[in-house]
Amino acid sequence: MFVYEKKLQYPVNIKQTNPKLAKIIITQYGGPDGELGASLRYLSQRFTMPIPELKGVLTDIGTEELGHLEMIGAIVYQLTKNMTEEDVKKAGFEDYFVDHTAGIYPQSASGVPFTAASLQSKGDAITDLHEDMAAEQKARTTYDNILRFCDDYDVKDAIRFLRAREVVHYQRFGEALRLMTDKLDSKNFYAFNPEFDKKCFKAQNKKN
Amino acid sequence: MTEREILLKKISTYQFAALDLQLFLDTHKNDSKTLEKMQEYQKTAKSLTKEFEEKYGPLTKSANNRNNWQWIKAPWPWEIEEDD
Repeated sequence: MFVYEKKLQYPVNIKQTNPKLAKIIITQYGGPDGELGASLRYLSQRFTMPIPELKGVLTDIGTEELGHLEMIGAIVYQLTKNMTEEDVKKAGFEDYFVDHTAGIYPQSASGVPFTAASLQSKGDAITDLHEDMAAEQKARTTYDNILRFCDDYDVKDAIRFLRAREVVHYQRFGEALRLMTDKLDSKNFYAFNPEFDKKCFKAQNKKN
Repeated sequence: MTEREILLKKISTYQFAALDLQLFLDTHKNDSKTLEKMQEYQKTAKSLTKEFEEKYGPLTKSANNRNNWQWIKAPWPWEIEEDD
């Protein structure tokens, strides 16, 4: 189960209204490489992971991503809460505004609503961990791209924190993959599904 | 930043340090030095949280042992306090 703590993982304090920036940052809320997809991906994949360390890593990172989702929501909220009609027009924010006003809605920068089609839960630890490592790098690239358009220190500060977490998570998933392959027959790590083809485990790790 | 926000940031700093080390320990289970460091950060975060909750109200619903109104009315994490 989950317990809510009434605080952000890292503080967000943005004073400058900027709907134009909000429109690209919303992609990390509900876009293809965003935090909602990340948390759903990890929290779904963890159920069938074959070794306890992998369940641990996926639970912890999946939970942290929910905290990041809240931070992105806070950033978009603070960038738009004081905007005027004039600001909306100047920023080209009309297309978001007409559907959601200043509400926080999970969509990509180009307006595609959140879809689970951009994530996978394959029931294969090798496949899933590779997807997870790729997902962290995709999110890191997105944050780098967002930073190219940020000139507000307060926004940059929070985005840089989130970017750094992608790098750390990538490292942890890499270690998790190694912990998995350590238990497998080294002649052929990548040709079997350790969640289904039990024969791919090393003799001493064979399960029934 | 208000006094409340400064204390909250301090809690977040220690909590984050502990969380990052916990994540590290998921894949490095026999690292007792890191475990010790993590527990140290956790302890500091815990005592700061206690101080915070005594001054400003609960951070979690379960810490809310008086009445629900205090949990509801204390600032929400996405609000900037000076504005209210």
